[in-house]
Amino acid sequence: MRPILLSGHERSLNQIKFNSDGDLLFSVSKDKVVCAWWSANGERLGTYNGHQGAIWTVDVSPNTILLATGSADNTVRLWNVKTGECVKVWDFPTAVKRVEFNPEGTQLLAVTEKRMGFLGTITVLDINYDNNFENQAEEPSLRITCDESKATVAGWSYLSKYIIAGHEDGSVSQYDAKTGDLEKNVQAHEFDLQINDIQFSPDRTYFITASKDKSAKLISARDLSVLKTYVADTPLNSAVITPKKDYVILGGGQAAMDVTTTSARQGKFEARFYHKIFEDEIGRVRGHFGPLNTVGVHPSGTAYASGGEDGYVRVHHFDKSYFDFMYEVEREQMRK
Amino acid sequence: MSKLGNRADWADDEEFDDPSALPAQQVISNKDGTKTVISYRFNDESKKVKVTRRIKTTVVKEHVNPQVAERRSWPKFGLEKGHAVGPSFDTTSVGENIVFRPSINWKAQAAEADKNPEKGSMKDQLKDKKVKCRICSGEHFTARCPFKDTMAPVEEASAGGAEGDAEEAAAGGLGAGSSSYVPPHMRKGAAAGGERMAGKYEKDDLATLRVTNVSELAEEGEVRDLFERFGRVTRVFLARDRETQRAKGFAFISFADRSDAARACEKMDGFGYRHLILRVEFAKRAT
Repeated sequence: MRPILLSGHERSLNQIKFNSDGDLLFSVSKDKVVCAWWSANGERLGTYNGHQGAIWTVDVSPNTILLATGSADNTVRLWNVKTGECVKVWDFPTAVKRVEFNPEGTQLLAVTEKRMGFLGTITVLDINYDNNFENQAEEPSLRITCDESKATVAGWSYLSKYIIAGHEDGSVSQYDAKTGDLEKNVQAHEFDLQINDIQFSPDRTYFITASKDKSAKLISARDLSVLKTYVADTPLNSAVITPKKDYVILGGGQAAMDVTTTSARQGKFEARFYHKIFEDEIGRVRGHFGPLNTVGVHPSGTAYASGGEDGYVRVHHFDKSYFDFMYEVEREQMRK
Repeated sequence: MSKLGNRADWADDEEFDDPSALPAQQVISNKDGTKTVISYRFNDESKKVKVTRRIKTTVVKEHVNPQVAERRSWPKFGLEKGHAVGPSFDTTSVGENIVFRPSINWKAQAAEADKNPEKGSMKDQLKDKKVKCRICSGEHFTARCPFKDTMAPVEEASAGGAEGDAEEAAAGGLGAGSSSYVPPHMRKGAAAGGERMAGKYEKDDLATLRVTNVSELAEEGEVRDLFERFGRVTRVFLARDRETQRAKGFAFISFADRSDAARACEKMDGFGYRHLILRVEFAKRAT
């Protein structure tokens, strides 16, 4: 497995996303550019320029036509994926920490920071593809205010039925995506240790959370029951469920502020692979010089990419041993 | 002129007879659709090697989503605008190969790998090594040896004395072995060149014997008595340890007459002295 190193960013990576076909990879970092890469060979397709601050989050619409980014300059920007033009800017009172398109691509949620007297919100924006993307609604169609603990991450469940949010206090809540009512709130992770990432399974019926409490959990989107727990020895920044093989990939490492005082080996800057069902750690992939801030997986399960505090994106195309690995019980199941 | 005209540069002219030139590569198309490529190259020993390869070309058709195919033709934009097709070196590189083998007992394997201490630094490895002279086995560098002008380095085989074989092996590691550097003028076949600086004032060590396997308890006087029977002895040197003042197991005896020395060598080789069998031979000239 020879990783492809993408060094288009000058500062630490914040999020990477594959598009639904897996041929493109988008990355955002604390420098002000968004990069689009071909995942097969690591060639850079282009950059989306215009943000005035660190970009926290990126998402691409399911049809790979529009790209949304949220930034510390208090804006959400919508881009034409093909040309790199900015087609819409929404202004917010605070920084935007997470954006995500719903599975249909018709709505976009944005998680805003709690700061300067403003409460954290989850805002839903309608997306219009007609007329060269010009008629985007100015006002959000829904606004959920998190008055207890601010939301750090959020995403859409199956059929855009719920909005699932991870909070600063380690809890996970489920909102009705139509009305914005809080349906459920579960303290999934240790209290007061924030959830850093939520990523859904391909069918969006369950999701994985990565938390500062050194664990990742597989949680059902329907009733927020914890299905599996993956315990690591370091705070986790990102977690992803791999399609095709039943694994999960966790990324983390020593907090960025403590990095200079630890060696690369002690820092545990590795992507950890766990078996999704048996919850065992099955391997690690080394390479980054800093903690992994984000991991993403190819929708067909043939590759994964990780973005680190060191400013590099590493794209790994899995080789045979990855696909061949099976537990004895799995092998028996295959024979039957 | 026309011939020159279609050539890029006269410097590119390759029509010279170079004996080391390789024959041109041949490509033969076989009936079964394969190709045979015969090429020549020089191997590490600068011998000509013929390489014959049979190549079968298969066309793999890949079906991709039409959207993906359409995207492949998109022009670059933003900072990449106008750049050529293909990854550029300043943003994309390939990392070193990573072996990733998932395994059930990964934890146990990792713990084992941690337990095995990594190879220590060179300093630690050499901590127990001592400096050893190749001439007299003393604890100084060979270059500082007091006998470097008169004596040849003790060879591995003949040096086996009271010190035991284990230490000899260590001495070999310090460069006395056959794999060590030999200056050009000392190599086999090279003419004995280079006058020595000492010239005619050089000590005559043709009549010097080297005695090895001498007991630790040997005394210089005793050794002198042993050899004085054969003729006039001009010098006796018994190597001693600097700290313990015990004999190191070898000695040099210089005779005034070479014939006496030859007789002593013959008679004393194999002589029993203080429970050890002496080994006597002519000392080699130091070079």
